[in-house]
Amino acid sequence: MQFEWIKIPYALLTLFIVVNYGMLLGAFIQKIGARVGRRRGVPIWQNYADLVKNFGLRTSITHGVMFYLGPVFRLTGGIGLLLFVPTIYGSEMFSNLSFAGDLILALYFVFFGTLGMALGAGESGHPHAAIGISRGLSQVTAAELPLALAVFSVALQYQTLSITDIVSAQQGGVLHWTLFTNPLAVAAAMLSFLGSMMRPPFDVVLAPQEIPIGPPTEYHSSYLALMQTNRAIFPVAKIVVYMNLFFGGAASWPVFFLKVFLIYMVSVFVGVAFPRFRVEQSIRWFLVWAVPLGILSILLA
Amino acid sequence: MTSPLYIIAVALAAAFLLGLLREQWRSLAYPVTLAALAFMSWLSASWLWALASGSASPVDIYTAGTAPPFAINLRMALPEAVLTLLINLTGLFSALYLKSALLARGRRGMAVLLVAIMALSGIVLTRDIFNLFVFLELVVIATGGLVLLSDHAHALSAGFKYLVVSQVISILLLIGIIFAYHATGTLNIDGMAEAVPGLQNAGASQAFELAFFLMFIALVAELKPFPANGWALDIYEAAHPAFSAIFSAGAGTAALYAVDKLLLIGGPAWLDMATGVGIVTFVAGNLLALPQSNDRRLLGYSSVAQIGLILAVLGQRDILGEDTYFIAGGLLLSHAVAKAGLFWLSGLLAGRQLVDWADLRERPMPVFAFVTFAAMLSGLPPFPGFYAKWELVHHLAGSGRLVLLALVLFGALIEAGYLFRWFGYILKREPPGEADFCRVIFDKPHRVLPVMVAVAAGWALAFVWGELASSLLGRSNLLLALPLLFALSFLLLDWLPAWVKNSLAIAGLVAFFAATWTDYDALRMIFAIIFTLGGALTLLASYHVHGRRVGFYPAAMLMFAGMVMLIRADTSFDFFAAWELLTVGSYFLILRGKHSEPHALSYILFSLGGAFLIMAGFAIAAQGAPQFALASLAHVAAPFAPWVFLLLAIGFMTKTAAIGLHIWLPGAHAEAETDVSPMVSGILLKAGLYGLMVLLLAMGKQQLYGIELTHVLLWVAALTALLGNLMAVFQEDAKRLLAYSSIGQMGYALFGLALMNHLGWLMALVFVINHYIYKAMLFLAVGGVAKRTGTREMYRMGGLIRLMPLSFIAVLVGIIAVSGVPPLSGFGGRWVFYNAILASDYRLPMVVLFLAGPIAFLYLFRLIYTIFLGQLKDELRRVKEAPFWIVLPQMIYVALLIAFAVVPGLALHRVDTYLNQFFPEGGLSWAGGEITSNYGYWNPVAIMIIVGVIFCTVFAWLLFVNRRAQPVKQFNIVFSAERPFRPETTHFAWNFFAPYRKALGFLTQPLVTIFWTTVTDLLHTAGDLGRRLYNGNGQTYAFHFLAFVVIVFFLVGL
Repeated sequence: MQFEWIKIPYALLTLFIVVNYGMLLGAFIQKIGARVGRRRGVPIWQNYADLVKNFGLRTSITHGVMFYLGPVFRLTGGIGLLLFVPTIYGSEMFSNLSFAGDLILALYFVFFGTLGMALGAGESGHPHAAIGISRGLSQVTAAELPLALAVFSVALQYQTLSITDIVSAQQGGVLHWTLFTNPLAVAAAMLSFLGSMMRPPFDVVLAPQEIPIGPPTEYHSSYLALMQTNRAIFPVAKIVVYMNLFFGGAASWPVFFLKVFLIYMVSVFVGVAFPRFRVEQSIRWFLVWAVPLGILSILLA
Repeated sequence: MTSPLYIIAVALAAAFLLGLLREQWRSLAYPVTLAALAFMSWLSASWLWALASGSASPVDIYTAGTAPPFAINLRMALPEAVLTLLINLTGLFSALYLKSALLARGRRGMAVLLVAIMALSGIVLTRDIFNLFVFLELVVIATGGLVLLSDHAHALSAGFKYLVVSQVISILLLIGIIFAYHATGTLNIDGMAEAVPGLQNAGASQAFELAFFLMFIALVAELKPFPANGWALDIYEAAHPAFSAIFSAGAGTAALYAVDKLLLIGGPAWLDMATGVGIVTFVAGNLLALPQSNDRRLLGYSSVAQIGLILAVLGQRDILGEDTYFIAGGLLLSHAVAKAGLFWLSGLLAGRQLVDWADLRERPMPVFAFVTFAAMLSGLPPFPGFYAKWELVHHLAGSGRLVLLALVLFGALIEAGYLFRWFGYILKREPPGEADFCRVIFDKPHRVLPVMVAVAAGWALAFVWGELASSLLGRSNLLLALPLLFALSFLLLDWLPAWVKNSLAIAGLVAFFAATWTDYDALRMIFAIIFTLGGALTLLASYHVHGRRVGFYPAAMLMFAGMVMLIRADTSFDFFAAWELLTVGSYFLILRGKHSEPHALSYILFSLGGAFLIMAGFAIAAQGAPQFALASLAHVAAPFAPWVFLLLAIGFMTKTAAIGLHIWLPGAHAEAETDVSPMVSGILLKAGLYGLMVLLLAMGKQQLYGIELTHVLLWVAALTALLGNLMAVFQEDAKRLLAYSSIGQMGYALFGLALMNHLGWLMALVFVINHYIYKAMLFLAVGGVAKRTGTREMYRMGGLIRLMPLSFIAVLVGIIAVSGVPPLSGFGGRWVFYNAILASDYRLPMVVLFLAGPIAFLYLFRLIYTIFLGQLKDELRRVKEAPFWIVLPQMIYVALLIAFAVVPGLALHRVDTYLNQFFPEGGLSWAGGEITSNYGYWNPVAIMIIVGVIFCTVFAWLLFVNRRAQPVKQFNIVFSAERPFRPETTHFAWNFFAPYRKALGFLTQPLVTIFWTTVTDLLHTAGDLGRRLYNGNGQTYAFHFLAFVVIVFFLVGL
């Protein structure tokens, strides 16, 4: 695959679609959560309103260089992850910038934003931020493990690390999806998915009640706006990876919207039903329940 | 030539003359004594010169003018010349050393000394067994007298115990001689040896056997075998150190040669007995020395052990053949010179405890002397003991005597253990005070001179044995190897200011690379660059040290010399010699840290233990040859190959700190000086990886009992990576954190090698390069911070980003690279890793490695956050950026990291091609910026550009919308509606990952440390139990001797 200049506007188009979809999806999911709790929930355009408000704030403060750069890292991480992965299967237009690297690039680029964000929050000097990061990093080491195993299993299964090749191997019917050809790996990955969506029972990182929203606690105004933008992009970008690896990818935008929504809903179903884990509980939970599934999938692959 | 008989005659004449001197001429007595000893030494030396140069041939001197058996004959051949020279010189310098004691005791003492030296020479020269007995008696009586030269409270009782035991020995010897004479009809040793096979009837033969047993046991008892040696130890402890020098170097030598002559008579049947007694004594002597705290008693045990080893060597002459004298001589001369030197040195010190030797600390010359002696005794290159041990081990392995081999190495390791522990005391313990007292002694040249002569003799012997070995091994003298000479030249330049030496060192390293870079293949090139240019780069940081920095450069350059010799070695001997040199150099370097005494000791012990395993592995692989080309490791025969592999792999893994062998690393790397940590972490660890590469390239996959050893390596590597990372998470000390991180990183590299496929090896090399760059950079950055803040505890720091921005940038780039996050170079390693494991058959070990991976984020974040982010402490508000010379290399490393991230092909493309000859399948293809494997693809330039463009765009946008952001002060945060005011309570840093410890802390139980502590405790306890045998009671000692005789008697099975 080669670079052509036309890829840049195409990539920006993908970005535009995903940002808007992410905004609406986020609010919609929030509303579902509220309805489960017998509340009314936010209007569907709430995220746009927040964004405009945050960009419109006239005063803002900074705690230093890294504090300033934190949201930049965060958003770069989200956009990069989205653009390194082809969005629509079979479409040259929406293959984005995936010529730069394969699945491994996407997996490791996830940490780019996390790390930068953690550094920025660290410089704010707020202990709640540091506590949140400590919890988040601790949890992520265990939560990412089943995903890594599942990815390895899938790569072994298809003998490739190219996302496009993995998607193309799943074409030709629902039963060709990895979900059915390698169910153990998908099970492990979906458990890991729960851990990375910041929803209960794995949301002790943000823990709104005890360490007011944890790492981003000091962020406001345009910093927060950047992070909100990322919050629209990042879950979708991550789900795109899952969709491509395990659920046959998407050959058109409507399928894309549907699959992303349904995969997102997995974490919502679990989230509204279960209370919060402490960090060490969630680490043990991943190691005891999710990791063995991943190991089995590797041994059987 | 002057007849050697004058050695004896002059001594006797001088002794008589002393007695006849008139009262008013007494002041002449001491010069006469010295003159006599000097003449005797000169005579031996002239014979040695003549015999060695071939201008004279060995002579027999018939004392009564007739040939034996009718008269006593003496012989002067090469061994006799060497040994009498040794004895006479020891006598001469001890006499010099004893000046005040001898002058105080008067001429009788001098006469006794002369008689003792004469008798010792006589034992060496004579070929008559009864004459030997007479000389032995003279030695005993003289010893009894000379012990009294000491002021020690126990000198008298020690001398008395000695006389009692000696009389028992003499009686046994005399009875033995009588019966042997009866059986063979001659007293001449050579005559007896000829007569023994001709003994006709069984009765005569059996009688002779018994007679020989008595002679044998008597002479062996003179060697102070275990356990019949309590009396000797009391002498070592109580006698004047100058006499102990004679007793250890001279008397030990003479008695050994006597046993050697006696073994001629006994024939091969008695060799095993000699070996058995010798090796038991060697191991037990060293074990007993371990718990000693008294310096002279420790030296006594060490003497006992060394002589035991030489006895064991003499007993192995059936397989050693012509090399017996090369080996025994190397060990004996090393022992004699070093032990005499150490005893003399001990006389310069007031205290008798080992820790009292800290008095030497500020004096480079005595410290250098001690180092020389300790290295000689431990058999380190380039001293004779090194060559001797190499030859001995090869012969033993070649003949399948593996138990003996193991015991020799075990004993040697214990010996190195207590010697280096002692050296640690010298450099690191507080001097006990009374420094004035010491200075007085150091001013006396007649006491310092002998020590310096011993040092000179040690280095001269190193040269001579190097020459001998060079003819034996067909190679040039090790001591003359250019890198080694360069390193040693820094000993002479140590008076120069540090910056001059630093410039010389950098120039030397760069010049060496410039001169040799065409010699290396792609694989070696990477190591050569890291060892030389990389070394030069880290040395830039050393410019920050002012003053002379005594001892730093010889040690550092010795390490670098060892490393370049390692990659240039193509035979097993060269490789091993280089390995030992770099080990020793790095040990001295590590020991320089303020609190590094225990860590340096554990480093040298693990390293030497590993080195001995490597030596044993090489020896087994050589199958009797003295050395072999490294490439022919591939042709080791089937039953040995896996064992060779195992020994070598474990040996190399002591350097890479694989789990189980890692406990030395955290302390050693953390406590080392600021600019030493990057050297020993970034550079030195690679030596172990290089060894493993050589091994795996040559031997490939090996099976032992059906288990594939590379599979085992995979597991070890994965566990190393996991536990190294996990331990790093829980460190409060920044340098210890980095040290544990190194363990983890080495686990990754080892894992790549053990995968035994193309990409696995490439991954290992990516880690080699990356780890060098980022670990050197991080250690420098953290070292600089520690230097400024005065602490390495991270929770005491915080908020330093504004005060030390450059260090922050280095750490930031470093952690992104270590964590493997794109776009920096760590990602390349991860990408190759995933491709490599896809091509591998093993899957389970990967799981462990997957678990290890993300854990790195934990400790890396903690490193940067707790130091640079969070809350600044009040006492650190005036901290400045790290010194220029520490920051400069960091900035170069930052540039290197980014360059390696963008164009990894510069380094890797050639290696990738090179690896094709070993692993033809699974290579990468390099087209333009894109790197493609069988499974995936990766374009580092594109990644860098895309990430850069997105980042800059978002950043520019934020700058635009947020242009009026107002910087606020430290505590301006939303904090429970209050304003925090104490940084200590606001900086969340101590026990940062408490929840993680709750969940997985159980994995960090220090099981390995407990294991090794138990091992050393057991050894100490064994030594301590043995020590209780020696209660100072003469009757007990007599019983020991009796028990020894009885045990040997039954073992001989007469």
